[in-house]
Amino acid sequence: MDNKIYVSSSPHFNFKCSTQMIMGTVLFALLPEIIMGIVLFGLAALVRILVSVASCVLFEFLFQKVTKQKIVIANLSACVTGVMMALVCPPTAPVWMFIVGAAVAMIVAKGLFGGIGSNVFNPALTGRAFMFLSFPAAMGASWMTPKTLGGAVDAVSSATTLSAIKAGTFAIEDGTLWQYFIGNRAGCIGETSTLLILISFAFLLLAHIIDWRAPVAMVGTVAVCSLIAGENLAMSLMTGGLMFGATFMVTDYATAPVTKKGRLVFGFGCGLITFLIRKFGGYPEGVMFSILIMNSVAPFLNNLTARKYGYGKKEAK
Amino acid sequence: MRAKTFKGGIHPKEYKELSNQCPVTPAFPSSKTVTIPVTMGGAPNQPLVKVGDEVAKGQVIAAGEGFMNCPVHSSVSGKVKKIQNCLITGNGSSPCIIIEADDAGRENLLPVLDPFESTKEQALARIKEAGIVGMGGASFPTHVKLNPPADKIIDYVLINAAECEPYLTCDERTMLEQPSKVVDGLAIILHVVNGGKGGSGHAKGVIVLEDNKAYLMPQLEKAIEEAGKTDSISICLVKTKYPQGAEKFIVSAATGREIPSAKLPADAGCVISNVGTACAISDAFRLGMPLIERSLTISGGAVEKPVNIRVPVGTLVSDLMPEVFQLKENAVVKIISGGPMMGFAMASADFPVAKGTSGVTFLTEKETFLDEESQCISCGSCVAKCAMRLSPALIVRELKAGNIEKAKSFGLMDCIECGCCAFVCPAKVNLIQRIRLGKGIVRQKMAEEKAKAAAKAAKEGGK
Repeated sequence: MDNKIYVSSSPHFNFKCSTQMIMGTVLFALLPEIIMGIVLFGLAALVRILVSVASCVLFEFLFQKVTKQKIVIANLSACVTGVMMALVCPPTAPVWMFIVGAAVAMIVAKGLFGGIGSNVFNPALTGRAFMFLSFPAAMGASWMTPKTLGGAVDAVSSATTLSAIKAGTFAIEDGTLWQYFIGNRAGCIGETSTLLILISFAFLLLAHIIDWRAPVAMVGTVAVCSLIAGENLAMSLMTGGLMFGATFMVTDYATAPVTKKGRLVFGFGCGLITFLIRKFGGYPEGVMFSILIMNSVAPFLNNLTARKYGYGKKEAK
Repeated sequence: MRAKTFKGGIHPKEYKELSNQCPVTPAFPSSKTVTIPVTMGGAPNQPLVKVGDEVAKGQVIAAGEGFMNCPVHSSVSGKVKKIQNCLITGNGSSPCIIIEADDAGRENLLPVLDPFESTKEQALARIKEAGIVGMGGASFPTHVKLNPPADKIIDYVLINAAECEPYLTCDERTMLEQPSKVVDGLAIILHVVNGGKGGSGHAKGVIVLEDNKAYLMPQLEKAIEEAGKTDSISICLVKTKYPQGAEKFIVSAATGREIPSAKLPADAGCVISNVGTACAISDAFRLGMPLIERSLTISGGAVEKPVNIRVPVGTLVSDLMPEVFQLKENAVVKIISGGPMMGFAMASADFPVAKGTSGVTFLTEKETFLDEESQCISCGSCVAKCAMRLSPALIVRELKAGNIEKAKSFGLMDCIECGCCAFVCPAKVNLIQRIRLGKGIVRQKMAEEKAKAAAKAAKEGGK
């Protein structure tokens, strides 16, 4: 026994899983959406994803360097933010805007709040919100028709379904639903294909990376509200960023509650606000704002805890 | 029969196969010396022997006057060499009586006593005389546990045969090798809890077994039948899951009841005893043998050939090397007294096997983890796995912010420190360590307030 003996508090066992592995798994789960984005929108999509990731990692590195913190870019969380932010932006937005968005995401939304796990607002969505509000023309006024639908790479013509629905000019044709399901439509780089997002969702669920509660509550709430309002259910669910947001954004660890009940209420709130914005708001899509609004109340939703063992139903505090 | 269970919990790798084929073999320290802690459970004892005294095997060498005291006996026939502070489980230093064994073979055992002819008082006195404490690790005096306040009606006596800690197999081996002794011990506990001879209690005995040990059922059933206890003793199979062996989950899985917060199992009508303790109780009556030996598992990836052994209480673990077991060269990074989930990491192997030492685990770097703590990512895994349904990440967050009350509302004082949260934490946050520190702060505050109140009362009384 010549080697060093370590003394520490129990437990002395740990499930072999690290922050880096979780982030890596999320990146893997995002691959189908990345590939679909490139298939639909070509090089434009690829360039934006790469720029977004590179600038997120760079800004996180710089922030940690300047504020003399431990450099933790190896945990891959900045990469995840970069990919997610690119996937929820239109392929037509100028590349430099992604750099601005990345700066806001990594420095304002994440770094200043204390870094990984401490941020209140989803960094990717905060970056997108900044771009969306600062450069509305580039971020949603016009949309690129997918190459698969015969659009040239730089064709900037089509409108998204939600804006069409809002304007009352949308009509469902034969086969439209299937095209929407597989993702053959105009929209943001990574959020078009319901099918692929469902695959990612199932994968993340089976890999025990995400919890079903918030996503199911969110999508369920939108579905119920749409039915009550007499909207087309399938279109409400498959258009816009609902599926992507429910799978990747409301399951973001730091900005959602950690308790089970809290997550259900969180998802419900996201769904309700999404529906209200879509139906009555000034914007065609409400997923981004609904999640950001609910992010702000997530810390309070953590008070919705389970009944602790040994506390009878009545005296439970 | 469907295995019962509880919500939450984890499935760590069990490593039972390393040692569950090894019969419990008697072993003796190579130095022929034992280091017996003066107190092993209960209130602090005083040594009753002096350096130079000759002692017999089974002779009381330390005891105390109080109800909570539990006597300690010499585990060998020999001569007291020293009485001094030594390293014990928990890394503290505590008074120990060091006895060098001789070949005289003096024995000073208790007279044999028929448990079923004893009154409750006689039986409890015997259990105390024999120095029996809970052998699962907590070392709570058994004569206190088996004598709950009169207003607590006991419905179940549960034998905790879950053995949910990875590596440890000594309870499993004991049930395999001596099923009738386990059943006899349980029958004696039932007899005591039901009021002794002529008692009117109606408690039933249940052996709670994890289903990875389901193969023991036929044996145990046969032993119950042979003892003629089929109407009062049964077996309950529970799913293999950590921390099934924690008493709260033994109770909830086997009976569907919950032990109220900050209360004892008796408040849920249950008395729980460990497999080893049941055997020790049987020996105390049938053989007049005080608790001076115990079975334990020596295992872990750094051990050349893991074993189950039975050694005199006070045997230094390092005294068993290399005769009883050997370590792989340069492999061990942690020495654990107990199992890897709740055991104590020891600075060296020079500590004695006490009444509550159920095993010693020598872990390699690959088995354990030495990662540095990183920032909590709020993934919520700890909340999902907490069998107590607490919110570990939030407790720790509130503790960091200094909000003790808020931390309490998330369950600070209800934590049983089983370690599921830290086990699943991807950021390797020292959750249990921080919760222990938080509990310490709360207890210190309570003590201070109590002292203040007492001082105030004394002042007012003086006026």
